[in-house]
Amino acid sequence: MNHQLRNLFFIWSMILLSIILMVIPLPDVLDQYRLPWLKMAVIFFSIFNISLIGIISVWFSGLILDIMSGSLMGENALILAVLSYLSYRFRFQIRIYPMWQIMIVVLMLLSLGEFITLWIHGVSGTMFFNIYDWINVGIAVLVWPIFMRVLEKMQSLFLE
Amino acid sequence: MPLHPQQRINRFEKNFSAYRLLIVVIISCVLMYQDYQKNYLSALRVYLSASLYPAQYLINLPKNFIQKLNTNFSEREQLLQENKFLKKDNFELRSKIQQVYKLESENKRLYALLDSQPKKDNNYIFADIIAVSPIAEKHQIIINKGSRDDIVVGSAVADSNGILGHIIRDQIFGSEVLLISDREHAIPIEIVRTSLRSIAVGIGNYNELRINTLPTNTDVKKGDVLITSGLGGRYPEGFPVGTVKDVINNPGESFLEISVTPFGNLKTVNEIWVIQPTEGNQ
Repeated sequence: MNHQLRNLFFIWSMILLSIILMVIPLPDVLDQYRLPWLKMAVIFFSIFNISLIGIISVWFSGLILDIMSGSLMGENALILAVLSYLSYRFRFQIRIYPMWQIMIVVLMLLSLGEFITLWIHGVSGTMFFNIYDWINVGIAVLVWPIFMRVLEKMQSLFLE
Repeated sequence: MPLHPQQRINRFEKNFSAYRLLIVVIISCVLMYQDYQKNYLSALRVYLSASLYPAQYLINLPKNFIQKLNTNFSEREQLLQENKFLKKDNFELRSKIQQVYKLESENKRLYALLDSQPKKDNNYIFADIIAVSPIAEKHQIIINKGSRDDIVVGSAVADSNGILGHIIRDQIFGSEVLLISDREHAIPIEIVRTSLRSIAVGIGNYNELRINTLPTNTDVKKGDVLITSGLGGRYPEGFPVGTVKDVINNPGESFLEISVTPFGNLKTVNEIWVIQPTEGNQ
C-alpha cells in the first residue's frame, strides 16, 4: 500500500472506531460513563500528527456522530472543528509540555467542548445539566496518558 | 530549489487555516438552525441518516443478537408455561372482543344518527427496535420501519400495554421515536374517572411522568388511570398512558405535583406498533 493511502486508512479507521465506541449500546452501568473518544482522538492527532487530518475531515466525522447519535445536525461537528483548530494552533507549546501539563490542556479543551454543547442546547431550549458529562471529562483526562501511549504505539506500528 | 521567505514550510497549514474554521463554523450554525426549525434541510438529514442506516444496524447487531440467543435458548419448561399463559390470555381477549364488535357497530350507528363524524379507524404497523440513543438524557429509539413502509412522521407508537411515544424523524428504512419520558415531550391526557383533561410531561426518568398543571382542589386519587385525550391531533384518542402513582400537595403551592407511572415498558421495549389513521378517513 502506498504511503498516503496507508495514512488515510489508518486515520479513518481510528475515527470510525471512536465513533463506534461512542454509539455502541452498553449495559446501563457503563452507559453513563461513555468517554468522549472522538474528541480525544481529534485532539491527539491535531497536536501530534497534523499530517493525518484537517478541519474539514474532522468536521465530517463530527457530522457522522451527530446523525448516528440523534443530536442536532452540526453540533458535534462544530465542537470538534473548534477543538481541532485550537490544538493545532498551540501544538508546539503542548508537545514539549510534561505529561501533567498536557493533561491540564486536555481538560481545558474538553471543558470548552462541554461549554459549547451547553450553549448550543441553551439556545435550542433543551439545556439540562448532566453531571455525568463532567465526570466523563474528568475520567478522560485521567486516562489520557494511557490513551496517548496506545495511539503513539499504534502509529509506530501502522505508519512507518 | 531554495525556499522563498514568503513560502511556508508547513505544507499542512492550509488544512487547519482559520478561513476553513470560519467556513465550517458558519455551515454548522446554518445546519443546526435548519435542523432545529425542521424546514429546508430536513430532507438532507433524512438521506444522510438513511445512508448511515447499515452502520447503525451493524453497531447494534451484537446486542440484538444476544437478545435473540436468549430467547432461542430459553428452557422448554418455561416456553410451555408461557404458551399456556398466552393461550389463556388469548381466549379471554377473544371473548372480550366479541362484545367489542357489537359495541363498535352500535357506536357507529349512533354517531350516524347524531349526524356527527364517527371516530377514525386506525391502522397498525408492527416494528422492531434496532437502536437506543447513546445520549443518556435523550429518550429516543430507532425502529426498523420508515417511509418505505408508509410510516408518517408524527404517528403515535405503542406497545401492548400503552403509549410509548411518537415518530419525530424519518430515515426511509427506519425512523426515530421520541419517548413520552423525554424531557422535551408532553402528552395530552384525560383522567378516566373524572374525564378531566391535562398534560403529562416527561422528566427524563423511564418510570415516571409528571402533571404540574392541575390546581390543588382537583379530584385526583392514587391509582387513577390516564388515557390519551386526542387533543392536539398527534395522539389518537383513548389509548392507555399510565396510572397516578402519587399526588403531592405542597402547602403554599397552587398546583398539585402528580407523578404518573407509564403503562408501556419504556426501558425494555422490543416489539412495538405504530398507530396511523387510515387514509380516506382522515
